[in-house]
Amino acid sequence: MLRVTTILGCAADAALADRLHDIEHRGGLETVRLTRSDMARRRQQLRTDRGSTVALMLDRDATLQNGSVLWLDDDRAVVVLLDEPQWLVLQARTAADALELGYFAGNMHWKVRFDGERLCIALDGPRDTYLQRLAHLIQRGCVKVPDEAGPGAGSEPALPAAHGTVRYIPVPHAH
Amino acid sequence: MSSVMPLQYARPRGAARVGVGGPVGSGKTALLEQLIPRFIARGTDIAVITNDLVTAEDAERIRRSGIIAPERVLAVETGACPHTAIREDPTLNLAAADELDRTWPGLELILVESGGDNLASSFSLDLVDYWLFVIDVAGGDDIPRKRGLGVLQCDLLVINKTDLAPFVRVDLARMTREAEEVRAGKPTLLTNCASGEGVDAVVDAIVRGVLFD
Repeated sequence: MLRVTTILGCAADAALADRLHDIEHRGGLETVRLTRSDMARRRQQLRTDRGSTVALMLDRDATLQNGSVLWLDDDRAVVVLLDEPQWLVLQARTAADALELGYFAGNMHWKVRFDGERLCIALDGPRDTYLQRLAHLIQRGCVKVPDEAGPGAGSEPALPAAHGTVRYIPVPHAH
Repeated sequence: MSSVMPLQYARPRGAARVGVGGPVGSGKTALLEQLIPRFIARGTDIAVITNDLVTAEDAERIRRSGIIAPERVLAVETGACPHTAIREDPTLNLAAADELDRTWPGLELILVESGGDNLASSFSLDLVDYWLFVIDVAGGDDIPRKRGLGVLQCDLLVINKTDLAPFVRVDLARMTREAEEVRAGKPTLLTNCASGEGVDAVVDAIVRGVLFD
């Protein structure tokens, strides 16, 4: 187990890039892929693409980023790669529907980005789970899931039956 | 590189921080009372933070228990929604954890017990490295099916009070199976914190998750 307490730098740093390049050519470069949420963890057990175990134990002010170098010696390097999130792309029918969708996404603490008139939700779990949460909006026709939504699109799950109109508590921070 | 050392030499600065959340009455404090002596017995240098709405009830309960030095237990009074203090603005808990780190050099583990909340509560990863969510069979075997944020996102789901299942007509096997289904492979453990049954596995999970020793 490699025990890592400090981020050595970023793979793009000039001081590290040449060494990493050399190690990669000699077959010693290992990578760990992390989701955006796991990037926030200072302590976690990681497994590299070659099966090495890394015990990450960083200081609280340390911040992982895409390209963080966790290990570097003469023969081996371990570099973090950000696993870009999958996005669920949603299209609201009207402005009112968009407001309701935005309110709902915020209330669920989902991470989103905007793409013109589309709302994109970063998936931090199975896509079907999100679609089930959105079933009341999708079944009412308020929200559509465009075909180009990414991996998994086109295999929409059977949505649970809607029980009338879902009502929200009309205050922010409803839980 | 100096920061790259064999396992036996490297030691991080500051303790690992583990959150314990869950609904009111699910057994969070009881779990702490079972975890603390086990960590002390295995030589882990430990401290505790409890969160309560407007009292220090849980902190006092642990201080009086005799299982840990009272000065190693800090109380945070959230005053409002308990999840705010562990997610949206964990400033008070961060300050308390930093204070414990400063006061107890060599501290290895801080357990942060949230105030009793609902199924949507969750911990910020700015505050903790790993977090548990405690539910109990007496709250109803439909809790996992409700897919609350806490149930879905926690690193370890603990289903407590398993001894009560027959008395509240809960099908524990089904409840466990449904929890595993909604959690997409993340672990679920069963405990009876009244007797300590199942708690060793929780200790093992925390050790594997953040202590690595």
